[in-house]
Amino acid sequence: MPEDLAEIYRTTYTALVRFLYRKVWDAERAEDLAQEAFARALVHKPEKARGWLFVVAANMARDDARRAARERRHLTLLKSEPSAVSGAPEDEIDADTRRTKVRAALDQLTPRDREALLLWDAGMSYDEIAGQTGLARGAIGTTLARARRRLVEAYDAGKSEGGQHVARG
Amino acid sequence: MSHVDDGSLHAYLDGELPPVERERLEAHVAECPTCRAQLEEERALVERASQLLGLAQPVERPTPPLHQLRQPRLVWRLRVPLAWAASVVLAVGFGYYLGGNSYLVAPRQFAAERLQEPAAPATAPAPPAVAAPPAEGSRPSRPAALREGFADRNAAKANDSISVTSGVVAIEESRGLRPANPAPVPNAAVVIVDGANRLAEVRGRLGTTQWPIIRPGPARELLGTDPVAIPGLAVRNLRRSPAGDGVVLVEQLLDSTTVIQLYQQRADVERAQRALDRSDARVAAPPPAARAYAATERLARFVGTLRVEIAGPLTADSLNKLLEQLKPIP
Repeated sequence: MPEDLAEIYRTTYTALVRFLYRKVWDAERAEDLAQEAFARALVHKPEKARGWLFVVAANMARDDARRAARERRHLTLLKSEPSAVSGAPEDEIDADTRRTKVRAALDQLTPRDREALLLWDAGMSYDEIAGQTGLARGAIGTTLARARRRLVEAYDAGKSEGGQHVARG
Repeated sequence: MSHVDDGSLHAYLDGELPPVERERLEAHVAECPTCRAQLEEERALVERASQLLGLAQPVERPTPPLHQLRQPRLVWRLRVPLAWAASVVLAVGFGYYLGGNSYLVAPRQFAAERLQEPAAPATAPAPPAVAAPPAEGSRPSRPAALREGFADRNAAKANDSISVTSGVVAIEESRGLRPANPAPVPNAAVVIVDGANRLAEVRGRLGTTQWPIIRPGPARELLGTDPVAIPGLAVRNLRRSPAGDGVVLVEQLLDSTTVIQLYQQRADVERAQRALDRSDARVAAPPPAARAYAATERLARFVGTLRVEIAGPLTADSLNKLLEQLKPIP
């Protein structure tokens, strides 16, 4: 008997969007992917729906990233529009800068460490993370310890680099 | 017990350590100042990492009702595959059109030559039954025939009729030296799919490489104002339509291989031509080149006194964005 999808939807949707957002870095796309993952779950009715959802979502995000890479050239062009920059309040720019730094720090992690960290932050248990990443359950603590340390170190390193740039400029 | 490793400390802090190990760890930490300090350090690390991840999350929006997910929002994910599919269908259809239906091309070509180039040596219009196999003799006029073909196919699409029917009409009209009425161009910006966009791209490559390159002065004269372009992109060429309908084509380079085409015409002239096209096709047969681009759906907008259409190998969204940025070339 599949778990109650409606309940999983209620408790997991936001976490799944967050998980996806940190992979595609686009809120609307993350929502689209999350909703599509749930729509597929409604069709497939998987046994362990929560884990299944994150596996499907991760795969979709990977495909999406490949597609995004193909379109990057053109997105870069559109981002150079002056209207996109003007009018953004100061704190929004700050938030954006911090988000960019966290993203850069996450990029410094190995794919497996990053996956474990994002899954943990999305509310998955060690058992579920082990099931999804193929790691032994006993190795999850060590993996998360390493991932967290690298994230913090990379973020702090990025921050000091940014500071130096400002100081030099 | 030796010191506790950081993996166990994190599992402990995450509440994921099995009960027996948890008790053992707590007993050890109570006696070992080194591990106690280590535990506090790891606790700070866990909190810091969690806080950093918190900086990178989307604005939380209400969860949409589950029942709304019954129809997966696949459209945007299918966009690229659909575009490819559309391209393949177009390519195959186009090949079929050239290969198997040359009897459609030959009479139309004849008609076009009679209308546009009376002095040119016109080959006799072969009856359909004779010219049915792809005749080499009709090849020299292929580019013009290609343009005609595209115009017809688009006209058929725009009129929401079947292309075969349109083809038959075309033959009838050609016999009477009356070209097919081109599809009226919608007034407002047209939303198109990628397939149509690629069509514009293909057509553009085939058709407009023969458009004469002109200098800014004559372009300004034709348009009555400065031609417009996307700021920040190199202008490769200015061309004019060989049909003498006052259309100027600005080609810009997005990168070394991607060309954006901006077809521009005085809005009043374009309107007059369109009215003429509608009122009586027998009298006002627009030249083939003009029909070729007029019948292709593209995104269009008015910039000052100009009507500008954009074409290029990008999505409709992207083309629309580029269209919004147009500025006169200084």
